[in-house]
Amino acid sequence: MSHPSMIKTFADEVKTIPGGEHLEKCYACGTCVSKCMIQQKVDPDYNPRRLLRLVMEGMNEEAFSSPTTWMCSECDLCYEACPQEIHISQVIAAVKQLAVDAGYTSPLTPVSVDEDLCSGCGICAMVCPYEAPSLYEKEVDGKLDRFSTVDANRCMGCGTCVAACPLGAIGREGVSNAEITVQLQYPKTEPPDLVTFICDWSLRVDEDLDILESYPDDQVKVVHIPCTGRIDPQHALMALKSGVKGVLVCGCKPGECHFKRGTYVANCKMSLLGTMFGQVDLPQKQIRFIQIGTQDRGRIRNEIDAMLDTISVVEEAIS
Amino acid sequence: MVDAARQPRVDVRAFTEVEKVEGFVGNFKVTLREKAKYVIADRCNGCGDCARACPIEVPNYFEMNIAPRKAAYVPMSQSVPLIYSIDLENCIHCYKCVEACGALEAIDFSQEDKIVEEDIGAIIVATGFGHFDPSVMVEYGYGRFPNVITSMEMERLNNSAGPTAGNLIRPSDNQNPQKLAFINCVGSRDKRYNPSCSNFCCMYSIKNAVLLKQMNPDVDITIYYMDIRTPSKGYEEFYDRAREMGIHFSQGRPSLITEDPQSHNLFVHAEDVGLGQNTIKEYDMVMLNQAAIPQPDQDHMSSVLNVAQSPGGWFMEYHPKLRPMDSPTDGIFFAGACQGPKDIPSSVAQGSAAAARASRILHSEQWEIEPTVAVVWPERCSATTRGQACGICAKACPYGAISITSPEFPAEVITAKCHGCGACVAECPEDAITQLHYTDAQVLAQMRALLADKPEEKILAFRCHWCSYGGADLAGTSHFEYTANERGLRVMCSARMDTDFIYEAYRLGAGAVLYSGCHPQDCHYITGQLIGAKRAERLQKMFHRMEMTDGRFRVEWISAAEGDKYARVLNEMQIVLDNMPQDALKAEIEKLKPEMSKRLKKFPNVPGVQEAMDYSDTLAQAITDQKETA
Repeated sequence: MSHPSMIKTFADEVKTIPGGEHLEKCYACGTCVSKCMIQQKVDPDYNPRRLLRLVMEGMNEEAFSSPTTWMCSECDLCYEACPQEIHISQVIAAVKQLAVDAGYTSPLTPVSVDEDLCSGCGICAMVCPYEAPSLYEKEVDGKLDRFSTVDANRCMGCGTCVAACPLGAIGREGVSNAEITVQLQYPKTEPPDLVTFICDWSLRVDEDLDILESYPDDQVKVVHIPCTGRIDPQHALMALKSGVKGVLVCGCKPGECHFKRGTYVANCKMSLLGTMFGQVDLPQKQIRFIQIGTQDRGRIRNEIDAMLDTISVVEEAIS
Repeated sequence: MVDAARQPRVDVRAFTEVEKVEGFVGNFKVTLREKAKYVIADRCNGCGDCARACPIEVPNYFEMNIAPRKAAYVPMSQSVPLIYSIDLENCIHCYKCVEACGALEAIDFSQEDKIVEEDIGAIIVATGFGHFDPSVMVEYGYGRFPNVITSMEMERLNNSAGPTAGNLIRPSDNQNPQKLAFINCVGSRDKRYNPSCSNFCCMYSIKNAVLLKQMNPDVDITIYYMDIRTPSKGYEEFYDRAREMGIHFSQGRPSLITEDPQSHNLFVHAEDVGLGQNTIKEYDMVMLNQAAIPQPDQDHMSSVLNVAQSPGGWFMEYHPKLRPMDSPTDGIFFAGACQGPKDIPSSVAQGSAAAARASRILHSEQWEIEPTVAVVWPERCSATTRGQACGICAKACPYGAISITSPEFPAEVITAKCHGCGACVAECPEDAITQLHYTDAQVLAQMRALLADKPEEKILAFRCHWCSYGGADLAGTSHFEYTANERGLRVMCSARMDTDFIYEAYRLGAGAVLYSGCHPQDCHYITGQLIGAKRAERLQKMFHRMEMTDGRFRVEWISAAEGDKYARVLNEMQIVLDNMPQDALKAEIEKLKPEMSKRLKKFPNVPGVQEAMDYSDTLAQAITDQKETA
């Protein structure tokens, strides 16, 4: 297949890219579409099944401008569900690569680096699940300096780098530090009992989001984040400092994280924070990290109720 | 079944296992284990008093384990013969059954398994199929969500003779469900579990939906499907009827089922392919149409009967189109789903065909077999020459047709069991076995004729009769062009392609040799290809050590449908020869010759071979003379 004379159609072109070779096995059962949450939560036009059809029919321009090409975050929920064992995210990645080669750009807004603050430490490049940030050198005032830059076509907007940056040099509207901190300060009202950080993808169905809204604002404050990888331990400390009695962080089950490994990063951060609490004799039960799976419908109610119970117990113990 | 049991010449042996099958067509010796029922069959009248008295309850397999049975039981109320048996694994020996049986005195706890040997003319295997366990597909939650059940369980729930007397209730709260969904292709057409289609599930789910709708007109039924396959006569009309009855069909394979923890209602997540939209619909109960898979003990049965299995585990038929009811072993036939998933009409047709086939054997005084059987020259067998039979031939035979009663006696071929693959002939280190119509001398004579003129330009292609010969034939009828230097030679199986033939080809100076046969799962002779493949691998390693150019000895498995592959392989081999400088090729051929002659030292001793060699030499000489005079 690698011989140039054998590449005749757009589908052939996709199949030459590693990961794209299983394209034509698709028999359009729609499992991928229903397993994926992007269509349901973000864009009704998102449809991996249809993208594969566009590729097979040689409709490259439609494929390049389809939201499916750009919004797939390679979580691979569809791959494990596909009865034909097609690595769909890899096929989409192959289309995306061709789209980039053809001069198309991602419609998503990437995070941007504030070069006045960036020290060029490279932590962002290390934590990013998509290898979007990279370091480059440029001369500033006659001195060679390192800076981070983000590949706009790779950034999926999970915000893991924003949380990881020690200098607060990376940000984007929707995931910036200021937007979260403003939700954690209560100058005019009593602080709520519980602050819950909810990953946008961990609650699969609308009914679960309704459960969150059923709690009054002065009891449970919900902070939406794109991924638990975005959670910064400082946010938890900030909330507790402002008088909140407990912090619950809710992410996806390992293997089901929408941004590949955000839930893993969050688990590390939260366990470290818990250990730290233990070392300075603070009640560890005040902070909790849970991972909700695709089939855990309704579990969020149990978890919040349990956390509220724990808080009251802790409070009694302290007083 | 009742009719069959009443036939005076039909003997039904229930609760009996086949332990061993020996012999051959018309003369099988079958060893049966008649399991102890702990009930004397002649005395039991099937009244069921023992079961009513029995205090033990265990899950009832026939009711898909959703109802109990007693330790004294019949598998189902229509059992033939209607004789109760005691399940000793669960019995607590309270002997209430003995009391209940009373004057009949049919219960006998001292019974033991009986081993019986029977003379059998023909065997029909009708062991059926098993069910895929959907609990391994965690996304559907079977086993975790009480209201996700299999269609087999649903069938018992909806059966008027079933545990609920036909009252459809859902397991979580015993309420009548109003919204139901069927999910097709659970574990079938799925590369992760069973890649093949289970054949009858589309019709089966439509049938269940129609039955449910007839008995409960108010329920709302949706069938989730990938493709609806209703290919037989009247099936499409039935599908139409179901649609007209108001059963919903939704194209799109569900990826997930979630459950509301309070109400235990289920939510099916699926794309509606027609709309291109994700849907999440609520149901009271979901039925999974699980895949049909081979019986759990199919592997065991296949070794007992000595019949091969197709990929996927089903019993392999003699020919998929022309002889679907015959096994590769004469006298053993298949009926129904043990040979592959099939619905009732196909099973009945195959069963009747198998019965007709079997009765042909029972009414024959004589039985015709292929003439290409193997014959032992006892005087050459190592048992005679060295007093110790090596047994390599018996090990190679896919049919167990070679018997070595004791190491001092030469091997013997049971002609009726031999199918003529020639594996033993090629494997025998003493060249003490020959195959009628494919003797070493005959094959040799053909080879010599094919390589008589300019052998260094020729590609000698060994083809097996059933696959690669068919492939070559197809290449011809399809007008696929391939090199004119190919010289084909047919033997019955790649297992017959003797190392001596390959040595002789190179000794004669052949340019290249192709060793071709069936794909491993397609072999006509059960395991013949495996024997051939092993030998080919050995040869390949050897030629590699001798620094022969890669591609001058090629091993390829080509099916009868792969004419294009046959042409491609031959063309590629021609390219290898074309790319070699003439001198280099000649030097390589000459270099091989002495080694090949050394390995063929004993070959002329094989009866007929020397004569064949001499004859072909005279013939070759005559051709050269003729050319010179011309």
